[in-house]
Amino acid sequence: MELKETLMELLSAEMPSGSEVKTNNCLVEIFKRHCDDVRVDKLGNVIGRKGSENAKVKIMLAAHMDEIGLMVKQIDERGFIRFSYIGGIDHRILPAQEVIIHGREKILGVIGSKPPHIQEPDERNKALKSEDMFIDTGLSAEKVRQLVRIGDVITFKRKPVELLNGCFAGNALDDRAGLAAIIYCLQELDKLQFSAEVYAVATVQEEVGLRGAVVSTYHLCPDIGVAVDVCHGNMADVSEEETQKLGKGPAIALGPNIHPKLYERLKNIAEDYKIPYQVNPEPSATGTDAWVMQITKEGIPTALISIPLRYMHTTVETLCLEDIKLSGRLLALFISSLEENFVEGLRCY
Amino acid sequence: MKELVKKLTEAFGPSGEENKIREVILDEIKDYADEVRMDVLGNIIARKKGAGEKLMLAAHMDEVGVIVTNIDDKGFLRFSNIGGISPFTLIGERVVFENGTVGVFGMEKMDDIKDLKFNKMFIDIGARTKEEAQKKVRIGDKAVYYRNCDIIGDYVTAKALDDRAGCAVLIKVLQNVKSPRFDTYFVFTVQEKVGLRGAKTSAFGIGPDLAIAVDVTKTGDTPESEKMAVELGKGPAVKIMDRSVICHPKIKEMLIDSAEKNNIPYQLEVLEMGGTDTGAIHLTKDGVPSGCLSIPTRYIHTPSEMASIDDMEKAVELLLYVLEK
Repeated sequence: MELKETLMELLSAEMPSGSEVKTNNCLVEIFKRHCDDVRVDKLGNVIGRKGSENAKVKIMLAAHMDEIGLMVKQIDERGFIRFSYIGGIDHRILPAQEVIIHGREKILGVIGSKPPHIQEPDERNKALKSEDMFIDTGLSAEKVRQLVRIGDVITFKRKPVELLNGCFAGNALDDRAGLAAIIYCLQELDKLQFSAEVYAVATVQEEVGLRGAVVSTYHLCPDIGVAVDVCHGNMADVSEEETQKLGKGPAIALGPNIHPKLYERLKNIAEDYKIPYQVNPEPSATGTDAWVMQITKEGIPTALISIPLRYMHTTVETLCLEDIKLSGRLLALFISSLEENFVEGLRCY
Repeated sequence: MKELVKKLTEAFGPSGEENKIREVILDEIKDYADEVRMDVLGNIIARKKGAGEKLMLAAHMDEVGVIVTNIDDKGFLRFSNIGGISPFTLIGERVVFENGTVGVFGMEKMDDIKDLKFNKMFIDIGARTKEEAQKKVRIGDKAVYYRNCDIIGDYVTAKALDDRAGCAVLIKVLQNVKSPRFDTYFVFTVQEKVGLRGAKTSAFGIGPDLAIAVDVTKTGDTPESEKMAVELGKGPAVKIMDRSVICHPKIKEMLIDSAEKNNIPYQLEVLEMGGTDTGAIHLTKDGVPSGCLSIPTRYIHTPSEMASIDDMEKAVELLLYVLEK
């Protein structure tokens, strides 16, 4: 399947953190096409195995399936819906968004706010606070109460668009792009020889605290863990040092969260196979599943591959499809290179 | 229920020093559990045997308090907080140590009261010298609010309703459950207030298949309060989300279904700040589907928390239906 189709299929599922168990079946279906065995764990992580069981080397690839969203907090007497956040929402992007409320049925709503004409002069220079915003469904208060409950989740309406030069924009690309890279890797593995037992894990609840990775890593206890996530892409008004360039290949992370030998191996493979890559120094917490994977049980050697993405946590997250492909290919070649001695060497300092 | 809540809330038990409250709880449950044990951190784990899956019910027995950090030459004590306390809450307040020593809070002269921090405050136990103070209190000793529990109609106001209200609910469930369909572990956890620490080890030790915590939650029913759709006296609240957990849909629906089938009033809770033992439990080992039943409570972490006895009784009723269904 073409990468773009895979990505579109992944984007079709609405999976705000905490309610993935209702919609993760689509991932089970996708993983089944590329894995020997697929299961869902108690918190909803989808775990696919490729390669022989009980191999000498066990590797876990993790990308999170969840996305940021909103949650119904209160329904007022006129039927307007007040909301809370699921994950790191920038409240300044909320006014004028179209949203889907996942109530007893799916309901379209818009986030309304006071128009400029009737704002007080000092209000015009300030971003709206979340408590000043509300969702309007057009329904009567009575009807809203029938269909919507406190705690129902709300997602942003999907509008993925293709831009020029292989760029792609939409919401939830953080981290469906990572999942697409893992699936691409699984496809590439069909063309390569590898002896490792590969676990592809679509994790839940990353956006609210890396929670799915905590329990899935404990469960699998792999020899190597690789998180595949997004990092900040190069954009206007942000210094080049803080970002990675779109279209220039995967960003391989380096820092305390990363086992130095895994970084070296990934870098060497990229060089040997002429895969463009970028170095992504991470001085402390990476804010990705790799951060919790590393300190599971007795410790897991961890690496992180990131796909550069602009405008993270907005509805126009933008990336370059080629970077997903290159990330997937790098991962596959890395897995193909793994043998027992290398894994044992990870304990030698 | 009223007498039980009074007994529990008036007991001493800041995080890390839960001996007294532990004794009170043990006394209430010892005749009803099939097994009772303590783990190394001091959690009480009481089991009521059942044939089905392992269910962990958890309520924390610790409460917020203060800890002595220094005793000066004149016998004044400097302190730090255990759990989330505002210095403004302490103005004019009294505390009591485990040995019964009572102290009052004083503060340094300040040009602007907004500058008030714990390091501008001290505890006065009436000692005239360091030596006299040291006979009563040592560095590291902990104290809690010195308050009675008062029943005001259906409402109760006391210190430590967070989470002795939850402890009361668990005790009543244990005392009244006959043949649970789960192999049920009633856990009274330590050190929730300093980071859900007792729940973490007790859940690891038990390895439950599912879990429900019982804790307090904030309300949005007081004048000009924040927007939150939870009120006192409208029934226990089924937690959807807080900062520590997004409750598993399966457990959430189990609680809601039990309430609806048995006509028990309930509310739904989205708490924007704060966490609960569920947060630690659900990430234990390879994951535990978990939820939380909350007792709506006003003025949390103050000496005068307020909750409804009826909400607690309804919570007991609801959990009994969940266990015996």
